[in-house]
Amino acid sequence: MGATVPLSVVSDGPLIVQSDKTLLLEVDHPRAGDARKAIAPFAELERSPEHIHTYRLTPLGLWNARAAGHDAEQVVDALLEYSRYAVPHALLVDIAETMARYGRLRLEKHPTHGLVLASTDRPVLEEVLRAKKIAGMLGARIDDDTVAVHPSERGNLKQALLKLGWPAEDYAGYVDGEAHAIDLDETDWELRAYQREAAESFWHGGSGVVVLPCGAGKTLVGAAAMAHARATTLILVTNTVSARQWKDELVRRTSLTEDEIGEYSGSTKEVRPVTIATYQVLTTKRKGVYPHLELLDARDWGLIVYDEVHLLPAPIFRMTANLQARRRIGLTATLVREDGREGDVFSLIGPKRYDAPWKDIESQGWIAPADCVEVRVTLPSADRLAYATADPEERYRLAACAREKVGVVRSLLTKHAGQPTLVIGQYLDQLHELADALDAPVISGETPVRERQRLYDAFRSGEVGLLVVSKVANFSIDLPSAEIAIQVSGSFGSRQEEAQRLGRLLRPGAPGKVAHFYTIVSRDTVDADFAANRQRFLAEQGYAYRIVDAEDVGA
Amino acid sequence: MSTGSGFRSLADQLRAWPDERLSHLLLARPDLAAPAPQDSGQLASRAATRASLVRALDQLSRPELVVLDAVVVLQHASAEQLEDVVNAERATVRAALERLLDLALVWESHVGLRALTGVAEALGPVSGLRSVSATPRSPGDVSALVEEVSPAARAMLEHVVDAGGEAISSARTTVSVAEAATPAEELIARGLLVPRSGGPMTVPGEAGIAVRGHTTAEPVDVAPEVPTSPRARSLVDKVAAGAAFEAVRRVELLVDGWGAAPPAALRSGGLSVRDLRATAARLHVDEPTAALLAEVAHEAGLVTTAADPDGNPAWLPTDLFDTWCGQPVAERWAGLAGAWLASDRTPSLVGERDPAGKVWNALVPELVSPLARETRRMMLAQLALLPDDEVLAAGTGVPGLVARLGWLRPRRPRQRTDQVVHALTEAATLGVTGLEGLASYARALVDGGDPVPWLAELLPDPVDHVLLQADLTAVAPGPLEPALARSLQLIAEVESRGGATVYRFTPATVRRALDAGWSAAEVHGFLASVSRTPVPQPLTYLVDDAARTFGSIRVGYAEAFLRADDETALTELLHHPKAGTLGLRRIAPTVLISTTPIDVLLPRLRELGAAPVVEAADGSVHVARPDQLRARTPRARRPAAVDARESARAAAVARAIRAGDEAAASGRSSTQLTPADALAALREAVETSTSVVITYVDNHGTLADRLVSPMRVEGGQLVAVDSRADETRSFAVHRIRDVRPVER
Repeated sequence: MGATVPLSVVSDGPLIVQSDKTLLLEVDHPRAGDARKAIAPFAELERSPEHIHTYRLTPLGLWNARAAGHDAEQVVDALLEYSRYAVPHALLVDIAETMARYGRLRLEKHPTHGLVLASTDRPVLEEVLRAKKIAGMLGARIDDDTVAVHPSERGNLKQALLKLGWPAEDYAGYVDGEAHAIDLDETDWELRAYQREAAESFWHGGSGVVVLPCGAGKTLVGAAAMAHARATTLILVTNTVSARQWKDELVRRTSLTEDEIGEYSGSTKEVRPVTIATYQVLTTKRKGVYPHLELLDARDWGLIVYDEVHLLPAPIFRMTANLQARRRIGLTATLVREDGREGDVFSLIGPKRYDAPWKDIESQGWIAPADCVEVRVTLPSADRLAYATADPEERYRLAACAREKVGVVRSLLTKHAGQPTLVIGQYLDQLHELADALDAPVISGETPVRERQRLYDAFRSGEVGLLVVSKVANFSIDLPSAEIAIQVSGSFGSRQEEAQRLGRLLRPGAPGKVAHFYTIVSRDTVDADFAANRQRFLAEQGYAYRIVDAEDVGA
Repeated sequence: MSTGSGFRSLADQLRAWPDERLSHLLLARPDLAAPAPQDSGQLASRAATRASLVRALDQLSRPELVVLDAVVVLQHASAEQLEDVVNAERATVRAALERLLDLALVWESHVGLRALTGVAEALGPVSGLRSVSATPRSPGDVSALVEEVSPAARAMLEHVVDAGGEAISSARTTVSVAEAATPAEELIARGLLVPRSGGPMTVPGEAGIAVRGHTTAEPVDVAPEVPTSPRARSLVDKVAAGAAFEAVRRVELLVDGWGAAPPAALRSGGLSVRDLRATAARLHVDEPTAALLAEVAHEAGLVTTAADPDGNPAWLPTDLFDTWCGQPVAERWAGLAGAWLASDRTPSLVGERDPAGKVWNALVPELVSPLARETRRMMLAQLALLPDDEVLAAGTGVPGLVARLGWLRPRRPRQRTDQVVHALTEAATLGVTGLEGLASYARALVDGGDPVPWLAELLPDPVDHVLLQADLTAVAPGPLEPALARSLQLIAEVESRGGATVYRFTPATVRRALDAGWSAAEVHGFLASVSRTPVPQPLTYLVDDAARTFGSIRVGYAEAFLRADDETALTELLHHPKAGTLGLRRIAPTVLISTTPIDVLLPRLRELGAAPVVEAADGSVHVARPDQLRARTPRARRPAAVDARESARAAAVARAIRAGDEAAASGRSSTQLTPADALAALREAVETSTSVVITYVDNHGTLADRLVSPMRVEGGQLVAVDSRADETRSFAVHRIRDVRPVER
């Protein structure tokens, strides 16, 4: 109860604790920095617009904090220390109760029985044992407080326990894996402070997810993690181009040589001490089986790196469940899953170990500042009529592919003449139409990898100043020279896609670079509604969109 | 109060009391005052009825009960004797005795203090001692006798006293001290165990007192300790004020929501489980808290049942709610807390099952307990007694408080723990207490003072600005001034509440403001004036964009339309000198509308020389916007001045009794007695142990006078010794026509 809660008397703090479990942090307050540091371990940053940042207390976040070694007392202390008004008592009690749920159950290594689920709280264990979802995962009861666990179910059990609200603390440890010397080669560069911090907090935590903005150098965090592990490593990436980039980066930044790094994709299938595989090849199904699954057991991996963990497909989740004895690191810019499976990421890959707000990294100068503009075009009457009478499922396509957008793109190109520009879209027809109108090359899923590589290289070298790209360029494509991105359509209201696309521009390029991100939207249609939803993540990260009318673009 | 002075009966004593003391009695035992008794005799008789006695006894604390028990045990005691036998400080005993006298449970007879007839029975066992024997020996003698006996006999005596003072033994009943062979016989020989023919042997009261030293072995004036732990007063106040603020905010939210969508009132008068759950979800609280807030809102007169627009009974805000909303938070809180304190409802039972297994709904009329109010008051009073900067200790504090209340009101054990815990929870939710300590401003509430200025100082000051942000939210970093909050609520949606409020602007909310008559310029002006920071561009754009599409389609009323391809014909009609009253308006070159109904319009148009044809029958649609619903505040509100009225009434009753006494003294006017008078006379006879003549209607319907010595009156029967038959008989009270004193 409340009487056990320690309290301190402070008023006029920077923090306002709301009864719906959100925390409002006044950024301009002199103590805001301290308050942010105090609440960051347990509260999820939800929105960070200019004046007031919103954090949310979620069970997942509180358990994250427990996993990182914080206790309820520290959490309550932090809230009371920085709160401006009285903290709702029920909320404090709720925090204490939620946090107390973590670690009642522990996964341990038993000297004779192998992996066991143990508890000091017998009623909880009994409750859990009676849950239907858990039934098949447990073995024999060893004593009153201990149950054997099938080693293969370690991940599934953790996942199921989280769903039951009794997350288990995993003390079972990790296998070391096959040792392999990997060192960072910091002769002509240096790991940035936040990258080092991220890699270290991952290593101390065992497994987990590191969240850094696009362009902030997540690959290097992965490399630093490998240098900590010094073991054979499996890296899972989204596509082949990204795999090549990883390889280049690793060769450049670490002691690894090209021969030590294998690529495992549709075209080449090499298994080397460090192997980079694409999600696609792992999830290819032939005759009902996944033929490439044995890759996961091909070596005694000491570390598994998941790139763009927010995209992790469902089969990979299932496979990951079997890899709980190996260290896992997830990398992402946006731990927002449109399918809401953040809980699976928590239980299978690990809790969030590091998180840095985009604007913080930007203010440190590691990513370029960006100017986001939404351009609204008005559909001509005929098109509006067509739109109004179209089937609902056709509407977005009609609105997104409005012909007026071509004109806007053109005037934007004139405005930013000479600056390397990407035009990004969803619909191939639209992209080809644009490419024809602008006389620029198109990169889409149909483009062969070799051709893609060539175009990207040409763009990087400045040979090509304008590329029209489909969603294949959404992720992991390193184009530091890009300064302008014009988004003409997207996959509906996907927040992370918007963020990833902006991310293409944020790679630091020439000093003083200011990226411009334009989204062209048809006024008064679902296109505008989706755009509003897509912008939410970035707006909440502090990227303020300006809205202009198409006629004012040239000005 | 020496034995020399004294009164013949309680009625006599009451007659001698000053008016204030009589008023005081009527206030302390309000059941005596309604209906107003005719004279002191009737008042005394009423005071001795079992129902009234039980109510009076329920108000006594443990020391008072023990003193009363001692009065019963000693039969005719002096105050000094009482002070000797009761195991408590003399001052405590004197104070307790004073209270018992004030409550007319004990009165002063010629031979000593006597408990009112019926008290012994209603009281039940307290010390477990029997009455002293008719001719009690001096305490010193009895103690000497007790000292004499063998250890075995003493152990037996102690055991019998603790077991209720009765024992069955086959020992010889006529033995001398010298002859006594067994422990029982030792006691019998010394008169410490008194044999009775055909019944168990008893230990007389004086022997029990001698064994224990007092009527009770343990002291009775030591109140159970309430464990406390240190906690700064300022912190308690801060937490409580936070809760108070939340409670007021939530009640407003609750009642406001009910105004927009009134929940149906059940046939039983309550609120359905589903509605309660929905309300709880809306308020972000659990269901018990929602039930408490609903009950408090109801007690404060903010909601009541009334017919909704369809005529079904529903829970609606009262017009008092609008007034309440306009008050400062502290005043609003004082209204709620006062209502809670004065309420006899038990909201904590909502969701539990009644004895029949049915779930209690919130707001059902049956959900009351006569003890609820007293428990709350006493709980707060005890908390107020805690030392400064101390609150109830975690874990042990609440049981300690329960024990303390048990000591103060020993005769109310049922559900005591539950009720105290409930009252504490409610107090914490409403911000009367914080961290298990009484808030300093709530002390005023307990003493009948005004908590408002104290609380107002603790509450956050209202802010007059918001922070606008580019993600289309506005944050008010504190409670907003009411007018500002209302405006903001119109043009933005509330997203998160608490100490601060987060608003979100959407096209729909901006349109709502435009609907309410704001212009885009006004919205811009408002935003610029309330924002401490520059208005972000997306918000400006949003407002303009909403204003752009706003009103592009116009809707209006028309009774009739006039359509013609000939524009000049319509122009001619519009400017016709006699067409002014037709309410014609041109909305398009070829369309006029009119506010005149067709049946009037048609002949008028024909008079003007036009030749109209009716194109369609009727087409008018009435659009009415349902307003916020309000019911009238119910009349039967418990006003604050109720106590004043009660004391005024008590004084009036006291005067009426005096008048009755005087009338009685001036000669017995009527021979016909009311049953109440007869009872009063009989009770007085019981008290004074005098004989009276009664006129009795026997089974054959014949009247006969009998000389009787009344023993007790109970259950509509008078038990008395009939002097003529010299036997104890029962008389039905309703057959007694007359009671007269024996004329000597």
